[in-house]
Amino acid sequence: MTETVGPAVGHIAFEDVEVVYKTGLKALKGVTLSIPKGQFVVVVGLSGAGKSTLIRTVNNLVTPSSGRVVVEGVDITHARGQALRAARSDIGMIFQTFNLVKRSSVIRNVLSGRLGDLPAWRGVLSAFPKADQAYAHDCLARVGIPEKAYVRADALSGGQQQRVGIARALAQRPSVMLADEPVASLDPPTSHAVMSDLKRIAREDGITTIVNLHFIDMARDYADRIIGMRDGVVVFDGTPQEATDAAFEEIYGRPIDDKDLRGA
Amino acid sequence: MPDQAAALPRATGRVKSFVTLALVAALFVVAFGQTKFNLGALFTGASDFFRFFGRLTPDLTALPQIWPPLLQTIQIAYVATIIGAVIAIPLVFLASANTAVDPVSMWLARTLLTVLRSIPDLLWAALFVAVLGLGALPGVVALTLFSIGVLAKLGSETVESIDPGPLEALKAVGAGRNRTIVFAVVPQIAATMVSYMLYVFEINVRASVVIGFVGAGGIGVLLQTYMNFFDYPGLGALILVIFIVVLAIDGLSVWARSRLI
Amino acid sequence: MSAARPIPNVIPPAPAHVRRNRAMLIAGIAVLVALFILAIATMSLPTWSRVASGLQRNALPLLRGLVRPETKVLELAWNSMVVTFFMAILGTALGALLAFPLSFIAAGNLLGGTRWALPGKSLLVAVRTFPEIVLAVIFVAAAGPGPTAGIMAMGIHSIGYLGKVFSDVIEGIDQGPMEAIRAAGGNQLHTFLFAVVPQVLPEFASNVLYRFEINLRSAAVLGMVGAGGIGLPLIQRLQFRRWAEVSMFLIVIVAFIVVVDALSSRIRRRLV
Repeated sequence: MTETVGPAVGHIAFEDVEVVYKTGLKALKGVTLSIPKGQFVVVVGLSGAGKSTLIRTVNNLVTPSSGRVVVEGVDITHARGQALRAARSDIGMIFQTFNLVKRSSVIRNVLSGRLGDLPAWRGVLSAFPKADQAYAHDCLARVGIPEKAYVRADALSGGQQQRVGIARALAQRPSVMLADEPVASLDPPTSHAVMSDLKRIAREDGITTIVNLHFIDMARDYADRIIGMRDGVVVFDGTPQEATDAAFEEIYGRPIDDKDLRGA
Repeated sequence: MPDQAAALPRATGRVKSFVTLALVAALFVVAFGQTKFNLGALFTGASDFFRFFGRLTPDLTALPQIWPPLLQTIQIAYVATIIGAVIAIPLVFLASANTAVDPVSMWLARTLLTVLRSIPDLLWAALFVAVLGLGALPGVVALTLFSIGVLAKLGSETVESIDPGPLEALKAVGAGRNRTIVFAVVPQIAATMVSYMLYVFEINVRASVVIGFVGAGGIGVLLQTYMNFFDYPGLGALILVIFIVVLAIDGLSVWARSRLI
Repeated sequence: MSAARPIPNVIPPAPAHVRRNRAMLIAGIAVLVALFILAIATMSLPTWSRVASGLQRNALPLLRGLVRPETKVLELAWNSMVVTFFMAILGTALGALLAFPLSFIAAGNLLGGTRWALPGKSLLVAVRTFPEIVLAVIFVAAAGPGPTAGIMAMGIHSIGYLGKVFSDVIEGIDQGPMEAIRAAGGNQLHTFLFAVVPQVLPEFASNVLYRFEINLRSAAVLGMVGAGGIGLPLIQRLQFRRWAEVSMFLIVIVAFIVVVDALSSRIRRRLV
């Protein structure tokens, strides 16, 4: 049996999304955006600008106080229960701190990406179909560490752990991929390796991708489109060519310096 | 000025500790009155105590009589630990804030666990002897309930302190609650839970030695018989055996737990 | 660009050590289950029909009694529980008093040197292993029935736990302040009072409170062998299966212990 992965049909629409936290903090103040299928979007801004909140409204880890997010024609903001889980299983996510189960093997972490699509009893008993197991190993191969399948996750380096995170998201066969500061915990060379892996895979599978970054040079290197946020508002939306140093100073509200660059 | 500022907090501190001391002293005065505690008994008691131990020359011919109830004691502790653990596991997840189904069932689970833990093991045993009659069965039921209380409490403290990252990741994957528990929570708590099970087994062995005093089976029945008949040599042998068994099980359990983490 | 990729349908075999660990885990669980079945089969449990007839006789009156606690015994239960509470206080205090000097010997880093540490520690272990209820029976025989016997039993038994945790605390203290006081010309007593006691006191107090919570539970049952407190009136009512009165006693015990636990753990949090 040979399975194929066709081009994904991701498409994300933010419709006047506002988020007010219980503390009274207004994290998003009316964001409207449309992201076409297959686009690789980098969101930049200082910490506290609302990047993390924005990305989490896409899979409803944060529920907007008003407005809505539509992913692939599904209003995920108002989806609940089974419908919400089904919608989430189509959206991969990778995290700054990797969020792997450290005491589990790498392959078990990758397989956990299949849980959303599996009947509950199979998940609870860890009875993954053969095709899913093969697919998980293939995901691991695609991020370049097939030989680490049976190593415990906490025995890997940071870069390898983030690759496992990508493989887990990839195992979902997602049409959308979210990445919240995926390289903030990594050193510069590893950062570039992980970002190019992410970009390559997104291209190959036609996955719509939103990445939060705060490094200017990396945003310019990898993005199809850059969105700048400040105080919960989109203040820049353009191509990497349009994102000049002046534009970044506008987004950050201060002169840019070396700390804003990851370097090579 | 600076002198005054430094003196103020010290003064209030002194008042506070004086009040605390006075309260504690009053508590003790009331305690002596309420319990009619006889200080003299401390000394006569102590001499009786040492005389008692002086008589305990173990009579090893009593050993054949000791083995069967000793085995039953360990069986009671083991069976209660296993059943207690099996029942405690779902309760652990119900009672932990980060894995609970809803606030109502969480509150119910926590209340149940609090009640289970606030009734001492011997009292549980006496209760079930009254319901189920003499023998090992009330002992097993009593220690099972007690184990559930202890294990689920320790377990839910562990669950509430796990790394929340994987929980968020599996929520993002779209996995349901049970799948999330199996993949993100269980691997993080498994070693600690096994260690707690061993610890509860230790407690249960100690408890099942004495539940015989209220008729709930095990070696306590024999212990009580020997004491009632002032059979000091038999008692000596019995206490020696209890010592060795409890210490051996403690040692094994500590060794196993040190290897787990 | 996004051409369909064929996915190989092969699962690489798990390495030998992974398969071995998996097999060991399954074998371990199998052993536990086998022991469990063996234990149940050989432990002379009553037949099911006997249990059922017992339940038939007792379950309904029990439930009926439990939901309708007899308020006439509330005063008796409350008064007995108050005595129980004070027994636990005195038992714990006695234990702490006796454990204090012993713990310095068992710690071996301050007094007496390491020569006495091992015998000291062994004594503590022995005390801890000796069942408290047996002590209670001994003291009931020696001092007569009543709270005094229970207090003595708790006091002696608590030495084991308190001595152990006290000596752990002492072994963990910072030697710096002691050196400082010796350097300033202080003698042994000064060092002890100003460098050792302030360091260990909060942890000692916290552990004494914790032991008090345990002793309160013990005190509630020691009466069953005549050592004072709520245990005696309770077990009499259990023997006569006066469930409504038992229910009242249980409510008083649980409520009392829950409240005391909550207060005690709050104080402990503030101490450490």
